[in-house]
This record gives sequence, structure tokens and C-alpha cells, in this order.
Amino acid sequence: MLEAQKLTKRFQDRVALDALDLTVQDGEIYALLGPNGAGKTTTINLFLGFLKPDGGDARVAGTSVADDPVAARRKLAYIPEMVSLYPRFSGVENLDYFSRLGGHARRREELYALLERAGLQREAADRRVGTFSKGMRQKVGIALALATGAKALLLDEPTSGLDPAASHEFSRMLKQLAGEGVAILMATHDLFRAREDASRIGILVGGRLIAQYSRDEIKDQDLERIYLERMSA
Amino acid sequence: MILRVARKEFVDAWRDGRFRLGAALVLVLLVVSGLLARQQVERARTERAAATELERKNWLEQGDKNSHSAGHYGLNVFKDTSPLATFDRGIEPFVGTTVFLEAHRQNQSAFLPAQDATSMRRFGELSAAIALQMLVPLLVVLLAFGSLAGERESGTLRQVLSLGVRPRQLVLGKSLGLATTLAALLLPAGCFAAFLLARSSSADASGMWTRAALLAACYAAYLAVFIAGSVGVSASTRNARTALTILLSLWALNCIVAPRLASDVVHGFLPTPKLAEFDFEMQKDVQEGLDGHDARSKRLEEFTRSTLAEHGKSSVDQLPFNFQGLVMLESERMAGEVFDHHFGNLWDRIQAQDSAVAWCGLAAPMLALRAASMAFAGTDFAHHRHFARAAEDHRRDFVRVLNEDLMNNARPGDHSYTAGRTLWEKLPVFQLEPLSPRDAWASARPGVLALAAWLVASLAFLFFSAGRLRVVSA
Repeated sequence: MLEAQKLTKRFQDRVALDALDLTVQDGEIYALLGPNGAGKTTTINLFLGFLKPDGGDARVAGTSVADDPVAARRKLAYIPEMVSLYPRFSGVENLDYFSRLGGHARRREELYALLERAGLQREAADRRVGTFSKGMRQKVGIALALATGAKALLLDEPTSGLDPAASHEFSRMLKQLAGEGVAILMATHDLFRAREDASRIGILVGGRLIAQYSRDEIKDQDLERIYLERMSA
Repeated sequence: MILRVARKEFVDAWRDGRFRLGAALVLVLLVVSGLLARQQVERARTERAAATELERKNWLEQGDKNSHSAGHYGLNVFKDTSPLATFDRGIEPFVGTTVFLEAHRQNQSAFLPAQDATSMRRFGELSAAIALQMLVPLLVVLLAFGSLAGERESGTLRQVLSLGVRPRQLVLGKSLGLATTLAALLLPAGCFAAFLLARSSSADASGMWTRAALLAACYAAYLAVFIAGSVGVSASTRNARTALTILLSLWALNCIVAPRLASDVVHGFLPTPKLAEFDFEMQKDVQEGLDGHDARSKRLEEFTRSTLAEHGKSSVDQLPFNFQGLVMLESERMAGEVFDHHFGNLWDRIQAQDSAVAWCGLAAPMLALRAASMAFAGTDFAHHRHFARAAEDHRRDFVRVLNEDLMNNARPGDHSYTAGRTLWEKLPVFQLEPLSPRDAWASARPGVLALAAWLVASLAFLFFSAGRLRVVSA
């Protein structure tokens, strides 16, 4: 479970995140929508412990990020807009290295299996990632989340720039992970994917969470209209 | 965790074609410079052995002559080259290898190897030591500048830290990986150097392996300073370009600017006299005495009076020995005091300069390493001074033997007295007892201490940088 309680972050005089209260339950996909500079990435960074909050607390599966950032990170996986990998290593070597760093050494065959489960075939897994497309990189990221057995997944614009097929494939994997009980927080601009994948959607503007909707609430509504209305309110 | 990161860095570096090319170049330079230096050292040793033999032959076969004339005939002694000069030639090319021993004069060493070199060689002689002091640090910079700053830019740093890796583990792992990469590059070269050393004509020289081990430790410490400093800078800078700019600037300051600057500054504060001035002052003191009050002739008059009084005689002709021989012995003794004073001051000053430059190593580690390296290789001024001192002691023995022969065997006023091979053979062959590693340590101490200070400071900087490692600027 991911939990933010009155989570606040300021950069000099500017409030980047203003007393955010947010809970993402196990097995839930929470989409955080908002314009650039709304505080989405700041929220992710606070959950990762890359930023120190000026107020409030972020917790990952009960562990306070501020108190023990390393323990909190051990419980989550992170997939940025572009999964960064070492170009002189193959896909499987990258996965091996990262999963070992995450404290989960796995046999080579297991790693191939995880990559295949994430949609990356063995032939591709053995290639150096310098030639990988963004979609292939995201698959390695998903495989890493699988390899480390993360309880929570943080995603920062994960489908930005993916072609529709890759985006669909990615969301299929997310749903699978959520089905396995992983709490997923996804910062995104992608209204379509948010409506398709998320259990709940939050709209963040100027560091404040101004609205939250459940999937049922927006099922038959135009999310784009709601979003634009909220933005201009 | 640290080992895991180190292993990845090691593999990553060796998969980088640019590194492999750079490593191959450095390796070739090390091997070629080592082979060339070995050839030069072995040639110098062969020439020295041949010259020593010829010199001895000439001395023994000079024929019968007045023993004092033999003192003026003189002889040459040759400096032996340290086997580790193959690695670090130090000041060897710029100081003489031969001292001409003769009566009345303490000559400085002559025949500088650099005089025989082409003008191009004066721009810099590439030795394995120079390659390790200058080129390998450059390789470290090129390997390390992006180790963390580059990962920050590419996003992998974020990825790695998100997995719960502690910054300190990551930074130490990077440093260890870099050190292992360099070790894999340099160890074969080191083994090759050890092989060459073991096969050298003086492989049994006392303490050579101890010196070699101390040299290796100093170079390891120096490269560790560069690794820790470079990774620390990479961890502290926002991007790889800034890290590279800073590290290249520091490299240039350390390897190019500092040696020249330190030398000029130290010579400004601790000047040495010009050769002509030095000779003039010394000859003046030989004539007038060190205090400048008693002329040589006056002191010899006093010596004559006291000798006559001691033997109860009124004329030198009544003495039971050749008084001229005794005067020569006394002259040499008096001149020896002057030589000891002037050469002692000069050598002390040069050693003070060397020590000051080594302490400047607190500002630039290459200066510290260079001083320690030359000392352990046996190619610094302390070792040259040891040779010059031994040559002068040999000269005094040689002149004393000749003058005592004149004093005891030539009749007063008999200028036709001659000595022969029996006397010439009494003079032993010049043998230089090499300085022990303990003596070398005394000379290397300022450099070693400055290097140790750098090692501590660079490791502290590395830990400090790790503590401040950020993926997001707050």
C-alpha cells in the first residue's frame, strides 16, 4: 500500500506539493493526472525518498520513507518515462544486475522467463539494450518489478511516446501486476490509459489534489471534459 | 552490494571500445618505455663495466712516475645505475655519471646522459614512471568522469537508487570497479616489469625487491587518490561534461603546471649558486681559509713551525721523512675541509629543494609521488650525493696513499723519486656500497607522507560526496 499523509514539498517559495493525502490500496491502480508542474513527479520523488518532504509523510507498505528510505525503496519498483539501462549490457544482463541490486538474485532461466512474461522474447533479451526501443525498455522495467517482487509500483509517464500496441501491452502487464496485489501509482498525461487502466483517478493542480474519481464514477463520462473543467476551475 | 557494483563497472569498462583502445595505448607505452629504458640502463651498465676495466688498466700501466704526479694523472670513477632506473630514470639523465679524481680538487660529476641525447629527447623522456604518473591518471579521469554524473544524466542512477542501494555502497562499488579495471590493465605490465628486473644484470642488488614493493605501493596509493577524487567529483557534479572539465583541469594542474611551478618557486626561495660562483668561492676559501683570515701560505708556515717543534728540528731537511709529502697531506686535509663545507652546503641546499618540492606534493600529488618514486628507484639526488660522497672519499684515500708514499719513501729534495705498479695496485677499485631501502625511505619520506595525506583526503572526499549524492536537486 502507498500512503501520503499531508505530504508537502516546497522549492524555495514555491509550493510544489500541498498537504497531499493519498492512499493506493494493494491491487489498485491509481492514476495521477495533472498539467506539467502540477506536482506529479514530485510526489513520485517523495515516495522514492529522492526528495525530503517539508511536511507530512509518505509510506510504502507501512514503512515511512523519511525514516528509512532504503527499506521503503526495497518494497517498491519504479518505472520512469524512459527506463534507463546500461547500453553495453543485454536486456537479461541489465535485469540480472538490477534485480541483484534489489536484493533478488535469480537464475538466468528465471530472468528469461520474467522477460518473456513482460513481453520480451529471448532473442531480444540477449541483445545489447543500446538498440532497444522505448517499449522494450519498459518491458525490462516491468520484468524488474516482477523480479524484485515489489509490493508497490511507481510509474512516471510510463506510456508517453509508446505506440498504441506497446501501450496496450504495457497496460495489460500493469493490470496483471495489480491483479497480483501490487499497489500502483501512475503519474500520467494519458487520459485514455488512465480511464482504461485506473481504479481511481486523482487530478493534481498546483500541488493540490483537487479531485478524485473512482472508475465507476467516470465510467460513462468524458474524462477529458472533466479534466479540462477542473483545470480551469 | 559493493562487489556487485564493482563487477558491473569492470565488465562495462572492458566492453567500452574507447577504454580498450586507451588501455592498449597505455599498455604499449608502458611496455615500450620499459624495454627502451632497460636497454639504456643495460647499455650504461655495460659501458660502465668496460670503462672501469679500461680505467684500471690505464692506472696500473701508467708506468713509473713520481707518486704526486700520479695524483695529477688521476683516474675516473663511474656511477653504477640502479636496476630500478629502468622504471624511473629520475635525475639520472641530468647528472653526471663520471667523476675525475685528482689531487687538490674535488670535481663534480661529468658526462650527463642528456648531453648525448638528441634535442627532441629533451622535450621529455617517456619512462614507465612518467606513463604511470601522467597517462594512467588521464585514463582514470576518462573512465571515471561519467561514473556517477553520467548515470545521473542517463537516468540509471535514479534506477539504481530506487532499488534501495545506499549511495555509499554505490560510490565505493564504482571506485572498486575502477580500481579492479586498472589493476587488470597494469598487473600484466607489472609482472612483465618484474620479469625484466629479475633478468637484469644486477637483479641481486640489495633491497631491490623491497624498493620495488615500496614503489608499487606508492603508485597504487597515487592511482587510488585519482580514482577516489575522480569518482567523488563525478558524484558531486550535475553532469558529466562539468565533471570532465573539472577533472581535466585538475589533471593539467597536477601533471603539467605543478611540477614546473613548484620547481620555480622552490628555486626562488632556496637558490643554488651558479657553477662559476661556486668554483670561485671554493677556490678562494682554499687559498684564504674558511674564515678568510689566514691565507693558505700562512697556515702552512704555521704547520711547518709546529712540525719542526714537534720533532725538535730547525729545518725541514732534518726531518726523518719527506716534508713535502707531509705538506701535501696537510694541504689535502685543509682543502678537504673547504670542499666538505662548500659541497656540503650545496648538496644540503639541493636536498632542501627536493624536500620542499616533495612537500609541495601536498598541493599536487604528482610531486609527492615523483619524489618518492625517484627515492625508491635510487635515482634521486640523495642517491647521487651518496655516489659523489663515495667518489670524494675514494679520491682522498687515493691521494693520501700517494702522498704518504712520497712522504715515507722520497728523500727530501729528491725530485727524481718514482713509484711504480706496486704502489698503483695498493689503490683499491672504486666500489659503491648501495644505499639500503631504509636510507631510500628517509629520502622518500616527505613524498610518502604527502601522498598518504592525499589518500586520506581523497577517501574522505569520496565518502563526503557519497553522502551528498542526489538524483534530484532539492
